[in-house]
Amino acid sequence: MKNKAQQEIVGFVLIVALVVVGLMVFLVITLRDTPTEKNSVEVENLLDTLMKKTTGCAISFEPQYENFQDLFKSCYKGKTCTNIEENTCQYLEKELEKTIGMLLETEATISSYQLDFLERENDGEKGILRVSEGGCNQTVSTTQKTIISGSDKLVIRMKVCKA
Amino acid sequence: MVKAGQMKIQQMAFMIVAVFFFFILVGIFFLRVQFADLQGTSAELQKEQAISSLSVIANMPELNCDSRENLCLDQDKLEVMSGEFGNKYDDFWPVSSIKVYIISTSKEIIQCPGINCNYFELFDNGQKNSEEYSTYVSVCEKRKETGYVYDNCEIAKLVVGRNINEK
Repeated sequence: MKNKAQQEIVGFVLIVALVVVGLMVFLVITLRDTPTEKNSVEVENLLDTLMKKTTGCAISFEPQYENFQDLFKSCYKGKTCTNIEENTCQYLEKELEKTIGMLLETEATISSYQLDFLERENDGEKGILRVSEGGCNQTVSTTQKTIISGSDKLVIRMKVCKA
Repeated sequence: MVKAGQMKIQQMAFMIVAVFFFFILVGIFFLRVQFADLQGTSAELQKEQAISSLSVIANMPELNCDSRENLCLDQDKLEVMSGEFGNKYDDFWPVSSIKVYIISTSKEIIQCPGINCNYFELFDNGQKNSEEYSTYVSVCEKRKETGYVYDNCEIAKLVVGRNINEK
């Protein structure tokens, strides 16, 4: 009788253990960290196109206007837009907000964005400029572009949030 | 004694059936989650592929501004192709429609050629059963100011229609 009771307890414990293992496997698979950020061709094309856009800032003379890519380099070097007598970084920030805002107005699915201008150093990255709008708790599409200024590497990273 | 034994066998059978059903349910739930994710990934991949294929249209010598530049359209070529001359290319395009919208602060869409126009319709075969895909491109033109020629590039959206049965 005692033996039978022991057998039943062992059987019950085995079943409980099986169920617990099954649940654990299920939980591990479902709660596994899913990447919140992913590379996107759409955002890559957006950033590439943005880089080529001509701005109203001329460093040396008019009409040799800078495009955004050149403007990032000029901002890094601390240059001034001589035609409008404005610091390139200030102008860059203002123009980026205006241009990206205008672009995203045509995209109903994008709720917010963040663009970071960073300098890549041996021990990491140093932020130079950040332009952003809105918050995000959904899927983030991201892309980045590296530009070379002399011997320095500059990184432009863009993240957009899809509603 | 026999009854007690039968009871135990019944209990065991019920327990085995319950555990079996539990795992089946967990399996179904897991498969559903995985399958839903697969469908989403497939749709996303299809979209990315369609967007990548837009670069083929954008990089055609009939439209692009420079063979070294990716996703760059020549505004002068767009003007020519959206006019009378473009009709000769109707059988050339491997898609059902090609449109280019220059993005500006103006909300009004003005078809080119025209003053302050911002929309080029290069081709449209009138196919109703098509799906449109778009990507950002640069539209550049040569400008002359005080004797100096420079490239002025704007951001635009290239919208290409593909027949749904061609996917």
